[in-house]
Amino acid sequence: MGVAEHIWLGVLAVFDGPTLITIAGIGLPVTPIMVLAGFLLGIMVGATPGLAGPIAMAIALPILISIFGFSPDALLPVMGFLIGVMKGATVGGAVPAILFNTPGTPDAFMTTLDGYPMTQRGQARRALRIAHFSSVTGDTFSDIVLILCAPFLAILVEAYLDLPEKTALLILSLSFIAAVVGGSAGKGLISAGLGLLAAYIGTGEDFYPRLSLDLPALSDGFPIATSVLGVLIIGAIFKEMEGLVRSPPGPARAARNAGTGMRTGAETGTDPGTGTDPATDPGTGGQGLKPGDLRRILPYIGRSAVIGTAIGALPGIGSTLAATLGYAMGRRRHARRKPQGAPEFGKGAPEGVAATEAANSAVSGANLIPVLSLGIPGNAAAVFLILAADSIGGFNPGPQVFRLPSEGINSELVIAFGLFTAMLLANALNWTIGGVFMRGMGVMARLPKSRLLPVVLLLTLTAIYVQETSLTALWFAIGFGVLGYLMRCLGISPLPFVIAFILGGNLEATARQAFAATGGDPFFLFTHPIAAVFMALALAVIVLTARGRKAPQ
Amino acid sequence: MPHRDRGNLILGLAIAAAALLILLVWIPLDAETGLIERVRRRVSIGDALAPSLAAGFLLIGGLLLALTERADPAAPRLTARALRHVALSIAILALATILMRYAGPLAVEIANAVAPTAEGEPRSYRLLRDTAPWKYIGFVLGGTFLIGGLTWQVERRLRWQALAVALLAALAMVAIYDLPFGDLLLPPNGDV
Repeated sequence: MGVAEHIWLGVLAVFDGPTLITIAGIGLPVTPIMVLAGFLLGIMVGATPGLAGPIAMAIALPILISIFGFSPDALLPVMGFLIGVMKGATVGGAVPAILFNTPGTPDAFMTTLDGYPMTQRGQARRALRIAHFSSVTGDTFSDIVLILCAPFLAILVEAYLDLPEKTALLILSLSFIAAVVGGSAGKGLISAGLGLLAAYIGTGEDFYPRLSLDLPALSDGFPIATSVLGVLIIGAIFKEMEGLVRSPPGPARAARNAGTGMRTGAETGTDPGTGTDPATDPGTGGQGLKPGDLRRILPYIGRSAVIGTAIGALPGIGSTLAATLGYAMGRRRHARRKPQGAPEFGKGAPEGVAATEAANSAVSGANLIPVLSLGIPGNAAAVFLILAADSIGGFNPGPQVFRLPSEGINSELVIAFGLFTAMLLANALNWTIGGVFMRGMGVMARLPKSRLLPVVLLLTLTAIYVQETSLTALWFAIGFGVLGYLMRCLGISPLPFVIAFILGGNLEATARQAFAATGGDPFFLFTHPIAAVFMALALAVIVLTARGRKAPQ
Repeated sequence: MPHRDRGNLILGLAIAAAALLILLVWIPLDAETGLIERVRRRVSIGDALAPSLAAGFLLIGGLLLALTERADPAAPRLTARALRHVALSIAILALATILMRYAGPLAVEIANAVAPTAEGEPRSYRLLRDTAPWKYIGFVLGGTFLIGGLTWQVERRLRWQALAVALLAALAMVAIYDLPFGDLLLPPNGDV
């Protein structure tokens, strides 16, 4: 079968798959409904300061697997839901940023700079509309690039990279992620090293599980859910809670506790520009888009979408950097071309909201390029997609997904095109109902973090338990949570840890195969030209980042 | 060098020392095969190689931190306050887990003492662990304690309202994870 048939089968798998319910004799397919549910949930968690897409994905995954089971039919509904959450959270993060000066997600921080001043001027609805339009445009652009690029990149990898090169590519990816995430090559390498070490405990090919200290609890290694959720989610909750404890008592603490700690002049939640509460009435004082708004913001959206997509395609570089770069580029352009009397960046310029939101949203689609074409997760959301695929089985993200068989069908390729269809469907939902739902989510910023975070912690622990059914797994998760907390305290990003933990097994397996395939050549990473180039790049990225870090000192 | 500048240096050296210990002591003592394994003239990678790579990452990272980033005045540091915070969190989680683990069996023992069965056979929690209300006792009590305890940790006071939220949240989780699914076990019912 050719590419067109695989694409069509992918589309059919989404829209003509198993039905969830039947209304008036018409069966509603399950995957689109799950994409919708995930999308709406994503907007809600994105709009709630202290929560984020990965937390919702972590909690939902065991429930979804219980509902849909471990059959290949479960892949699209489960991953469609997670994709919906990923996209919804990206849009939702702008809501509290604009209404309350509190970013719902870290990458929405730059949105506060212009979004909140617009709210103060009574233009909350306009700012939300601009944020939504920019976000969904950037996201759609990014998805199109993903759909066009991922298959070609995978085909290139399959055509030109053999086992030694693939081993070197994994090492290069880890080095790159370690070097660029968090801005400190040393700390990134420590994080990645800890992740690899954790992945290798209790595993191996010998009868004795290595590094298990002869302890039965360690002999099966650490379950992936305990390490990933522990370091990413539980560690983040510990850190958030510490921030709440540290806040001094009084109004400031109360505001921060309510997820509105960065508010200025709006302690009661009342919009200073209009005297109304933007949480419940974002439209008061405001207005939708003004005539000419789209023409003004489109150039900013275009640039930021390209920046976000380019950054998203590189594993490990998060949407925060994309938002910062998009904002900086936009500010430079705005300074040159600003119309007379228009607000500057940082003082309520709609272009600032557009530049930030387009850039951070454009990361999400492109982040799946390394996942689908190389099997390398680039961010936390991608980690959960890999986790879902790994738990359910039948789909192993990597270059082999895009292999076109000479006869018959490649079921993984059908799933990949099904995922692309689900992403486009989520975008369609975002264009149509996303804005309306998003503008109604201001109330989520009112949830007090001091009550919310412990609930999320219990939810996370319960999600881990129902997967592992062992209190030992809970203790592993809490232990990894403490590790994640300490890493955050020391300025060490936990993302390289998680990615290294996930890639560790694959790296060792590929290296073993490469070693065997080269006849036991211990220098196989350096005797093959492309592998040697990758290794040189791995070294160079560490050295250059370390030197770049040293220079400012 | 001012004291505040030494955070990265100390961290880097500590990590490098730990990496050497892992490389020279833990891996050789706790892995069956070395870096390269030769069995019947066939050479393959041994179990020690991958952890050695991990230790290599740690060693290089630690040395980089100690040598090139040692004088970073903006480097975050681990404070006593942070350690107290995490220690208190662990204590609350430990107590919640103990409550979760033993509240159900304890309730069964109390029921056996107060209201024996008609047959005179004592009830066993193991046999009741998939039966309401026994299967919920540990999770609801431990979960309520966990949420309430952590809320107290942050707010430094515990209101009835917060306790009600904790109880409702635990009950909601029962509704989410247990009621719709016959195959999921809430904590601690997979362990007893």
